[in-house]
Amino acid sequence: MVDLPQKKVGIVACSGEELAEGTVTRLAALKVLEQLRPKDTVTICLPLFLAGGEGDRAFARFYPTIALDGCDKRCAAKATELYSGKPAASVLVSELMTERDLGTMRRLNDHGRELVNRTADRTAHLVDELLGKPWDRRAGEFTNETTVEEAAEPIEATCSCGSGIPVQQVNIDGQVVTLIALPAIFQQFHEQGKVPGDGVTRELLNLVKVYNPVPAEQEANYLSALEREYTAFCAKS
Amino acid sequence: MNDPKRVVIVPCSGIGKTYGSVSREAAYDVTQDLRPESTELVPLSLLVLGDEQARAAVVGSPAITIDGCKLACATKMVKESGGEVTKDYAVLDVYRRYKQFKPQGIAELNEGGRQLAQALAEEIASVVDDLQGGQHG
Repeated sequence: MVDLPQKKVGIVACSGEELAEGTVTRLAALKVLEQLRPKDTVTICLPLFLAGGEGDRAFARFYPTIALDGCDKRCAAKATELYSGKPAASVLVSELMTERDLGTMRRLNDHGRELVNRTADRTAHLVDELLGKPWDRRAGEFTNETTVEEAAEPIEATCSCGSGIPVQQVNIDGQVVTLIALPAIFQQFHEQGKVPGDGVTRELLNLVKVYNPVPAEQEANYLSALEREYTAFCAKS
Repeated sequence: MNDPKRVVIVPCSGIGKTYGSVSREAAYDVTQDLRPESTELVPLSLLVLGDEQARAAVVGSPAITIDGCKLACATKMVKESGGEVTKDYAVLDVYRRYKQFKPQGIAELNEGGRQLAQALAEEIASVVDDLQGGQHG
């Protein structure tokens, strides 16, 4: 089975190199990703919102995202909102501090390590909260709908750098549109033995609409483009 | 005599891969241990946000970037910020020169990772010296 991305929570740490608090964000994010919620979380390096591709910039629209910041410049939260999507939640390490001396940015002391644990626990709690709410991947925000279609296959919690969200650019009525998750959807349909045709194309569109905004007046054009692209995909596969 | 400009060191801040941790550690080795007087560490997150002070630092000084993966975020961001990359290091390429140092771990590098970072830092320090007109030592 293909791995259409399941609902996970994105973690974006500022990783600020010049402050011990930046190191706290990095280590706290890793603790959540590797130990506390490995199956429910995924991360991406903050600079990829600019240095990466469309799939990377889709990150915070696709996943409800928690920004971890070390200081009140809030680089992670602000850059995520600016270049990807509004974070669903934020954690500011400096607000969780009870001791000023955290050690150095290279080597945290006991206070620093304790703050890592507290920040990670706070983040894991937010992960649980966010997973309990329906997330609209088309709009990149929470929805009042009771269900949002999710994929069944779990994937490893890992760094999304470079892979990001699978996207494909498609020409729809003369406009180039980036469709989130389309390569994975095509792969899934192909593996299920579905051949291009009217019913399958409608099914494709319904799944595409889970991940992408499709204007009602454009549906016919989307159907035409999806049939063309899926036919090409099957011919190559 | 004019003081030579401090050299800006920009590591990639990669969070999901060992090489990202090596880049961060090497940057600390250079800026805190080997050449603290002649180098300055600029956090990538501030460049991403467009922080004026961080941008001014990379625009006004030669920059050495250290990237943990082929996406080369540090190098791209320095260029995006208007800076000039004097030397760009890819940790994987450095590892190919020092295969005896096998890095492992992300949150905490193993001994091999720390040794690789140190080897990289020494290469960078040499470049810094060249840029500074061979003033160190």
